[in-house]
Amino acid sequence: MTDWLGMIPGPRAPRAELRTEVLGRAERRRRPVSGRGLAAAAVLAVLLAGGAYWGWRTIGALRLERDGLVAALVAARDTLGFVRSAATRAVTVPISTSGHAGSVTILADSATRRWLVRCEHMAPNAPDQAYQIWFLTERGMRHAALMPMDPGDAAVMTMVFEVPGDAGRVSGAAMSIEPRAGSAQPRGPMVFRVLL
Amino acid sequence: MTQPKRLSQEEEHTLIRRLKARDERALAELYDALAPWVLGLAHRILQDEGEAEEVLGDVFVQVWGRIDQHDGNRGPLVPWILSIARNRALDSLRRRRRWWRQASVVDEAVVPPPDPADAAVPGWPVHREVHAALGALPDEQRRVVLLAYFEGLTHSEIARRTGQPLGTVKTRLRIAHGKLAEGLKHVRDWLR
Repeated sequence: MTDWLGMIPGPRAPRAELRTEVLGRAERRRRPVSGRGLAAAAVLAVLLAGGAYWGWRTIGALRLERDGLVAALVAARDTLGFVRSAATRAVTVPISTSGHAGSVTILADSATRRWLVRCEHMAPNAPDQAYQIWFLTERGMRHAALMPMDPGDAAVMTMVFEVPGDAGRVSGAAMSIEPRAGSAQPRGPMVFRVLL
Repeated sequence: MTQPKRLSQEEEHTLIRRLKARDERALAELYDALAPWVLGLAHRILQDEGEAEEVLGDVFVQVWGRIDQHDGNRGPLVPWILSIARNRALDSLRRRRRWWRQASVVDEAVVPPPDPADAAVPGWPVHREVHAALGALPDEQRRVVLLAYFEGLTHSEIARRTGQPLGTVKTRLRIAHGKLAEGLKHVRDWLR
C-alpha cells in the first residue's frame, strides 16, 4: 500500500508533444517473444532447415540424373550417327572364346575415321590377359584398342575409338588375346580377323 | 468541474488484457490516465523537469515491455507503475549524485496542498486519500516515510539524517506503514 505514496506529489501535466514521444518510444520497443512464439519459431526454423536440406538433396539428385540423361543422349546421337552415315561399313563376326559363343560388330565410319565396336558374350580373360583389337593397314597390324574382360563384366561391351591419322587406309580388323598391358604387335592367339 | 475519471476493476482488467495483447491504444489510454502522476512523482524526487520527463519515458517503455510481469494478485496496476517510476527516479538520482541538492528539499518534507485546478486529473480522489492518510501520521513518522520513499534512504541513512537511533527509525517506519496500509486499504477502485 505504501506504493500509493507516489500519488503524494500531485499531478504534473506533461508537455503535449511528450505524449507522442513517449508512446512512440514505447511502441518502437521490440515486442517480447513469448515461449509459444519461440517454440513456433524453432519449429519453423527446423522445417526451413529440413526443407532446405531436402531441396539441396533433390537438386543434387536431379542434377546427376540430368547429367546422365545428357550423356546417354549424346551417346545415342553418336551411335545413330554411325548408323545413318553413308560412309559407314558394318560387319558382324561370330566368335567363340573359351567355349562362349559370341560376336563382335564393327561400325567403321570412313568419313570421320571413327569406329564403334560392340562385343557380345565374350569369355572373361585370364587375370593377366586382355583382348586387343587391331587395325589392318597397308603396313601391317596396328593397335586399335585394349579390352580386358573380367568375370562379372557386362555381357555386351561397346567402345568407340578413332583411327589414327597416320594409319593410312584401314582394310580390316582383328582381335587377339594379349598380355593385360597390351602388345605392340599381335603375339597371342587370334580371336578373329576380318576385312571390311 | 469535470468529474475525475475512475476505472472500475473490470475496466482495469480489460486494460491490462489489452496491454498484454499489445494494443497500442490501451497504452495511450494508460498514458493519459497516469502520465501526470508519474511525472509529478519523478519531478518530486528529481526536482528537474528534463530528468523527470526522461523517467516518464523510461517508465512507459518498461510498462509496455514488461506488462506480462504484472501479477494482478500481488497488487493493483497503479501502485506497480508508481513503484517503477519511483525506482527509476531514485536510480537517476543516485546515478547523477544529486543528493546534496535534494537533501534540503526533502528534509522539509514538503507536501504541497492539493491544487483545485488539478481536480479534473484522473486519480485525484486517490491523491486526496493518500494525502489524508499521510497527514494523519505524526510529524516524526511522516518525515521518515517521506525520506524513505522519495529519497530511497536506508534505515541507517535516515537515522543519520534525522539524528535518531536506528531502532527508533525502524519502529516509526513500521508503525507508519501499518497506519498507511490501514488508511489506504479501501483505495483499490482507481485502476483496480
